[in-house]
Amino acid sequence: MSGKERLNIFELIKKVVFTDFVKGLSITLGYNVRGSMTLKYPDQEKWIPYKRFRGLHTLNRDENGRELCVACELCSKACPTQCITVIPMEDDTGRGISDRVAKVWKVDLVRCLFCGYCEDACPTRAVRLGRDYELACSDSSCNLKQREELLVPQSVPESFEGGVVAASTFEASPAGLRVKADLTKTKKRPW
Amino acid sequence: MPDISLIVALALMVIKVFIVTTILFVLPLPLTYVERKVAGHIQVRLGPWRVGPHGLLQPFADMIKLILKEDIVPDKADKFLFKLAPLMAMLPAFVVYAAIPFGDKWTIPFIDREVTLYIADMNVGILYVLAISGLGIYGLIFGGWSSNSKYALIGGLRSSAQMISYEIAVSFSAIGVVLLSRSLSLLEIVKSQGGNLLHWNFFYLPVGPVWFAIFLIGSLAEINRVPFDLPEDEGTLGAGFHTEYSGMRFAFFMLAEYLALVTVSVMSVVLFFGGWNAPFNVPFVPPILWFLGKVILFIYFFMWVRFTLPRYRYDQLMTIGWKILIPVSLVNLIITGLMKI
Ligand code: SF4
Ligand code: SF4
Repeated sequence: MSGKERLNIFELIKKVVFTDFVKGLSITLGYNVRGSMTLKYPDQEKWIPYKRFRGLHTLNRDENGRELCVACELCSKACPTQCITVIPMEDDTGRGISDRVAKVWKVDLVRCLFCGYCEDACPTRAVRLGRDYELACSDSSCNLKQREELLVPQSVPESFEGGVVAASTFEASPAGLRVKADLTKTKKRPW
Repeated sequence: MPDISLIVALALMVIKVFIVTTILFVLPLPLTYVERKVAGHIQVRLGPWRVGPHGLLQPFADMIKLILKEDIVPDKADKFLFKLAPLMAMLPAFVVYAAIPFGDKWTIPFIDREVTLYIADMNVGILYVLAISGLGIYGLIFGGWSSNSKYALIGGLRSSAQMISYEIAVSFSAIGVVLLSRSLSLLEIVKSQGGNLLHWNFFYLPVGPVWFAIFLIGSLAEINRVPFDLPEDEGTLGAGFHTEYSGMRFAFFMLAEYLALVTVSVMSVVLFFGGWNAPFNVPFVPPILWFLGKVILFIYFFMWVRFTLPRYRYDQLMTIGWKILIPVSLVNLIITGLMKI
């Protein structure tokens, strides 16, 4: 009984001297002075993701420059949203690592949910989810990515560790908007 | 042939009024910027950043936007009151400053003339400020009533109920200050706090801090700021009394609100923190700087509170007003009276 009463007095004192307010205010003051965690994207800083990041698909080649894809269609079967279309064809000119290559390999990015099942399914590690993530455009032209486009190496090389904020420049041209990251000038993120 | 000194005095008065009004008109521009910056930093963001260096031109962009916006008067609104309301809200916010002392006397260099850094030294200044700033509520009620919208109406009603409940507590704290300083004139109140820090009304222990707390909470409620911004509670009322307003009319409400914020900061400084008096003897700092510095600290404090505390519920608001602030101020009044015998 008396314990409860003492507690009440305690609570009362706390209320009278506004402890809760003071606590809250000191927390927000701490935030106020600690600086922001906003990245100055796109014209000053850009986030370079870790290697495990799942961004735009990329089709790889082996060390001799031959396409790794054997058009087995496993990726399109594994895909939960059925957004990959693979049409195989025969080719013995050495374009691919076998004589079966993809005539068409396209992915519909609007439907893709970047789950990464396609890269898990691929027997030759031809398709990988890369680190490019600026996929927006003002019409629907960039939704469908074709083989030719995906075979071009992505802007962040595979060897780069990632997980850093890089200095960047913003380039607006009639051809489109581009945020170019300078991978030599990087820093850890501030939070 | 009228007296030349009368004309000079009149001219000085007009100039002072002009300067104060201009400053007050421009003041919301930096205040919106600062408020958003403070909001940004408290939420670990940057705040305005892209318009001009560090977003400094953002207020001007906002101003252009507000001027260019379509001025909508709802079809079923009471047109006359609807148009009158923003003015009713804005005018008192300006008129209050007639009584506020920004400093004592100041000699203009070269022509050796003394000017007073206040527009009028009323012997009942404190009552004047309370009464006039209370008038601003008409703008809110008219705006809420005339828009013919349920949200606006509820917002207006809430603000009037809030005003009535908290005006009492604020007036009590004003009485407390009058008891402490033995004058109703704001000038005398400031002068009575001269000397050093310990002469400030706030440090008149034990009642000073209590009066200040009552004044602070009451005036926060009166100027409808968080945590008592129920008249414009977005969660339940759309935007409250100014739901139907757009463009410049809305801007006038905003102007009134920011000026009210400044008024409360100024009044806190004048009533409790010694006005332009320095906290301790520091040479070469003109009194007006002390005044401005304290006011700026208070404005920051109100913004800081705004982005820290959540909004109170309506019944809590009423409970705080009637069941806590008024009894506490009554008790405090008795103690102050006994101490001052
Ligand atoms: S990431 Fe998932 S959804 Fe996207 S293409 Fe690969 S399997 Fe399909
Ligand atoms: S990308 Fe891989 S899984 Fe898909 S068709 Fe080519 S080899 Fe098969």
